[in-house]
Amino acid sequence: MISRTLKHVVLALIVFIWVVPFVSLVATSLRSELASKTSGFWTAFTPTELGHRFSTHDRGLDEPVLSIDGNIFDRINLTEEDFPVSGTVESVLFKGRVADPENPGKTQLIRKLVPPGEAMSVRDGELVFQPNGDYILTFDEPTIPKPKNLDVFINQDPVFGAAAYEEVLLENEDVPNALIASFIVTIPATIIPITIAAFAAYAFAWMRFPGRDWLFVIVVSLMVVPTQLAFLPILQGFSGIAHWASSLNAWLTDCELSNSCEVASKSYASLWVTHTAFGLPLAIYLLRNYIVGLPRELLESARIDGANHLQIFVRLIVPLSVPALASFSIFQFLWVWNDLIVALYIGPNNGEDLVFPIRLQQQLGTFKDQLHLLNASAVISMIVPVVVFLAMQKYFIRGLLAGSVKGG
Amino acid sequence: MAQLQLKDVNKSFGDVHVIKNVDLEINKGEFVVFVGPSGCGKSTLLRMIAGLETLTSGEISIADRLVMDLPPSKRGIAMVFQSYALYPHMTVYNNMAFSLDLQGFSKSEINERVTEAAKILQMEHLLDRRPAALSGGQRQRVAIGRAIVRDPEVFLFDEPLSNLDAALRHDTRVEISKLHRQLGATTIYVTHDQVEAMTLADKIVVLKEGRVMQVGSPMELFNQPENEFVAGFLGSPKMNFFDGQLVGSADFQGDDVSAQGARLVSTEKSAGDNVKLGIRPQHLVIDEQGALAGNVTLVERLGTETILELLTPGGTLFRFASAESLDVEVGQDLRFSFDAAQAHIF
Ligand SMILES: Nc1ncnc2c1ncn2[C@@H]1O[C@H](COP(=O)(O)OP(=O)(O)OP(=O)(O)O)[C@@H](O)[C@H]1O
Ligand SMILES: [Mg+2]
Repeated sequence: MISRTLKHVVLALIVFIWVVPFVSLVATSLRSELASKTSGFWTAFTPTELGHRFSTHDRGLDEPVLSIDGNIFDRINLTEEDFPVSGTVESVLFKGRVADPENPGKTQLIRKLVPPGEAMSVRDGELVFQPNGDYILTFDEPTIPKPKNLDVFINQDPVFGAAAYEEVLLENEDVPNALIASFIVTIPATIIPITIAAFAAYAFAWMRFPGRDWLFVIVVSLMVVPTQLAFLPILQGFSGIAHWASSLNAWLTDCELSNSCEVASKSYASLWVTHTAFGLPLAIYLLRNYIVGLPRELLESARIDGANHLQIFVRLIVPLSVPALASFSIFQFLWVWNDLIVALYIGPNNGEDLVFPIRLQQQLGTFKDQLHLLNASAVISMIVPVVVFLAMQKYFIRGLLAGSVKGG
Repeated sequence: MAQLQLKDVNKSFGDVHVIKNVDLEINKGEFVVFVGPSGCGKSTLLRMIAGLETLTSGEISIADRLVMDLPPSKRGIAMVFQSYALYPHMTVYNNMAFSLDLQGFSKSEINERVTEAAKILQMEHLLDRRPAALSGGQRQRVAIGRAIVRDPEVFLFDEPLSNLDAALRHDTRVEISKLHRQLGATTIYVTHDQVEAMTLADKIVVLKEGRVMQVGSPMELFNQPENEFVAGFLGSPKMNFFDGQLVGSADFQGDDVSAQGARLVSTEKSAGDNVKLGIRPQHLVIDEQGALAGNVTLVERLGTETILELLTPGGTLFRFASAESLDVEVGQDLRFSFDAAQAHIF
């Protein structure tokens, strides 16, 4: 009983630790620039008292008037399109001269917060406002008053807007390009290794060939090779290949004419190859361990039914390994999607082809003071794996083997 | 000519010699049961016939063809596994169609064969289900159906009933027996349940530690066991054994009991050798004048049968089984006689 409660507490704690940064990121990206700069994201969800400034009316009245009415919120929102202000008006700051009660005949400069319903003097008239923002400014005789800017304190309702997303996605092509580039890198870099690994895993699990176990040990031990260690040889390799491809290009086509023989050594293809190479050991290891656990009699049954290795693989192993394939796909997708270092060293380095993490890293410099924009980019890059995960969720089926063997 | 022939078959897993010099002939249409205690190599022998294990030495031929180098699918066998091994992601129909599909049969022919098999097994209404949506007995039938559609020379069953509960086991046993009569197919059936062996088999092969102990019809094995192992293995409760010496040609002289003219099983024994007398519990008769005395230590009433466990004055445990509900109590002394013709000397 205690252990169950403890489990729940720990679980709640983990959820909390994971969710808070996410909420902070999303909340900030949905706030106005001002709000994100001046207050923490946790204040975004409850009404907060904030100061605003509004002008009583527009410049250029041409007829004398006895009164002017309007609404404070409407006046403020003339300039706040993306994050309209709403809530209740708490007070308006009065700043001006009033009769001094201690020195009759003299005036004194005072500042005071005028609550709703109380008259205050503005441009020789009287201004009265209501909590809902309606105000009326009345004069004794027809006048043409100049507009007056007043500071108002509003208990403001939470307000969110997608302005930052619009700006990031539409105003220039950096983020859209980064999205496309990341997909171009990630999808093949997920599918290629998982395909190769599935075949290899089957062979390691169920085919007999000399040196099988040793080979498997070698493959598994490759998992511990740090990516960084391999950069230099990989780069050398790719530039060698690029050099060779350039010569071939020159030899086979008439690219000399347009001076376009150069084949880039850092390209999407080099990223695919590198991610495949680094993803394979883990993929093979995970998949083999799953596939080797499939009931032996199932495969024997298929052999008796006349299936060869390829048929067993395609018609039995693959459908039954869907959960393992799905979980590795997610691993690899996440890893490639979030990868910065490999993309930085080995990926294409011209502006349009930069993948998302590199773009984010650059934005860290350019958007240093625009947290809402930075966070909007970050959320866009995060949302993709989340969507992928949710889409794959239905493949994490437990009990896929149910009904096959006893007890199932 | 035999449908299935094993010649001097041996199998070792590394240093472990699991199947030892097995010679066996099985005729067309015969229902043969391999029995033996757990680990005696029944499954291994069956899997060697199926082609799932290689032979260390020896020859196997099916329908007059040597099959040692043929893959399982080319041997003309079909196998039903203990765990059923159904393809969990396929419907019952596709489970049965799988082998035909791989052999390149046309859609209509596959359909015909599958429907036919489903009809034989009375599971036409299950064809669209996945194995997960079937009961144990239904899964068992699908596994059998998968074997039937292949129309094999030899059916191989490895303990097909051991996952079923007692009632279903009985029903399925009866069904398998009917099915065998209906199809007339040569069948090898592995079990360690002697009731299954006795009821199903035309011929029983008793195995012990990888060696064939005796081959014969159920009654042959029951009435004329060739060795102590077979005698003790078949029959329930187990046969009683008493130590003693061989006297003359077929007389037994022991501390607890003596017998004249019992069946001498071993030809190697001669007078004066230490031997054992075997009497089935059912062959004892309560008799005031009987030669065998015992003190009741346990009474088991099974409803159809009463089984007594007794100790002789010499301290040998033996059992008595009777169809009557006996009025005896623990601690009571009883005497038994028996017909020496039904006793065996090993
Ligand atoms: N792949 C293997 N490697 C090594 N030893 C094995 C292998 N398969 C079986 N054996 C051994 O061979 C012997 C016979 O095994 P087998 O499975 O044929 O027994 P069985 O008679 O079918 O028993 P059970 O009634 O328990 O199924 C056992 O001692 C087992 O440990
Ligand atoms: Mg077995």
